[in-house]
Amino acid sequence: MQLASNPLLTSKVYDVADFSAAQELFHANGWTDGLPIVPPTPPAVAACLDWVGMAPDQLLGVEPVRAQPITAEKLAINAVMAGCLPMHFAVVATAWQAMMQEEYLLHGVTSSTGGCAALIIINGPIRLEIGASPTFNALGNSDRATAVIGRAVRLAVINLLDVRPGGIDRSTLGHPGKFSYCLAEDEEGTQWLPLSMARGLPAGASAVTVMAAMAPRQIMNEWTTDPKEILETFAAEMRANQLNYSIYGGNYVIVIPKQLREHIEAAGWSKRDIGEFLYERARVRRGDWATVGKGSVVRDRADRIHPALASPEHLLVVAAGGPAGGFGAVIPPWMGSKTKAVTAAIGACIDCGPPDAGTTRRGEAGS
Amino acid sequence: MPAIAVMTTRFVTAAELMCRVLGMPDYKFAVIEHPISSAADARLSEAARATIIEAHKLLLQT
Amino acid sequence: MTMRVLDPSNESRVVGGQLAARPTSLKGKTVGFISNGKEGTKGYFTHLDRMLREELGVADVIWRTKSNYSAPADAHIVDEIRKWHAVVAGVGD
Repeated sequence: MQLASNPLLTSKVYDVADFSAAQELFHANGWTDGLPIVPPTPPAVAACLDWVGMAPDQLLGVEPVRAQPITAEKLAINAVMAGCLPMHFAVVATAWQAMMQEEYLLHGVTSSTGGCAALIIINGPIRLEIGASPTFNALGNSDRATAVIGRAVRLAVINLLDVRPGGIDRSTLGHPGKFSYCLAEDEEGTQWLPLSMARGLPAGASAVTVMAAMAPRQIMNEWTTDPKEILETFAAEMRANQLNYSIYGGNYVIVIPKQLREHIEAAGWSKRDIGEFLYERARVRRGDWATVGKGSVVRDRADRIHPALASPEHLLVVAAGGPAGGFGAVIPPWMGSKTKAVTAAIGACIDCGPPDAGTTRRGEAGS
Repeated sequence: MPAIAVMTTRFVTAAELMCRVLGMPDYKFAVIEHPISSAADARLSEAARATIIEAHKLLLQT
Repeated sequence: MTMRVLDPSNESRVVGGQLAARPTSLKGKTVGFISNGKEGTKGYFTHLDRMLREELGVADVIWRTKSNYSAPADAHIVDEIRKWHAVVAGVGD
């Protein structure tokens, strides 16, 4: 591949004998997630930077707790290690910059005992360009693009923020999404607005939404076509999360595959309607904590009602998943509203002036 | 401003790492028994006592 | 045949601060608590408050709680520190 530029990379260079030697070097230094990595050679890293038109020393942000500057070169090295091709790097770079927005709380969410992972949702034409598959196995190993993009972000957290298990990463359990947690929305398979548009970006924009998220909680209800009954199952799972994990409201993601989605769409429900329904239905009484062994923290506030969503707009509805199966997923936030989902357009300047409808959206927006 | 940071035993390694990451690898902090969230009042009093002992060393000129 | 690979880690190192001068005594002084507000901290800081006053002669104890236990102290709390003589920050749990 002929590169348009010849960027000067400044990272330290190691000479290794071969592919196996590269593995041992990287594992020994704690630079991996435990899986083999793609050796980040200068040409591979330069190709990523060239594709997105970034100089190696372009600053992607400063992690505030450490006052740590993050450069495009360093992120590209970790993206190559994850298996990213240059075309994947645009998504990685945008996701990373979104994670560095203050409201995401990057240090807090990555160091916490809570053990969340960065959920990345891709919208727009770029999904088709990179081959991101939004149908079968959407939350599993659906395709190369989402696998490597999600992994790149985790490797960057490990290597650029020194977040390693037992070190700064205090996750008690963590979850498998910490390897990779990325999916594309099935925009072609739904009449609903894409998530990015629901959160304020214009039609046709390629975008990512990032959220510090717990593991998916799968629900099943293949015995009705009534949207209220279907969504009541989602609500029940959200309420269970509130009682059993964290009662505090925040951004929730729900993933609705085709079989259930068709019933809801056929009844004329939009994503906004879903948000309004779940805003009302997904809430618990603090006193119910006593039914799940948490009576000691009810105190004198038993009648206080805790909604899972501060507003209908706090719900992020994603159309994704295979064509058959009455399943859905509820993806809870790390810890209430202490972190917020961030949506960013790919190719737009994330820190250029005040946000408008075409650029970064924080937290919530209607659909 | 003289300060003492307090953490539980299970967070010592995290604290040591953050000290290194923030460029003060020899920074000393107070350590108390884990956990705090479910500790009875008597244990919380012991934890405060342990902090006072550390405060003599870390907050005062000796 | 060798392969050249790039270091993925942050090679830059932050230049750290210096330890503030310690007072010889806290008698008559003001101590501030910066709490992460998690369960158990109220009881812990209640005992600490009493012990600081009764045993170290601290005159005043100011309690402040971070708005987000996983984030650094809020800017207004950091601003207030200059009015105190010492800080206790906790609990990392």
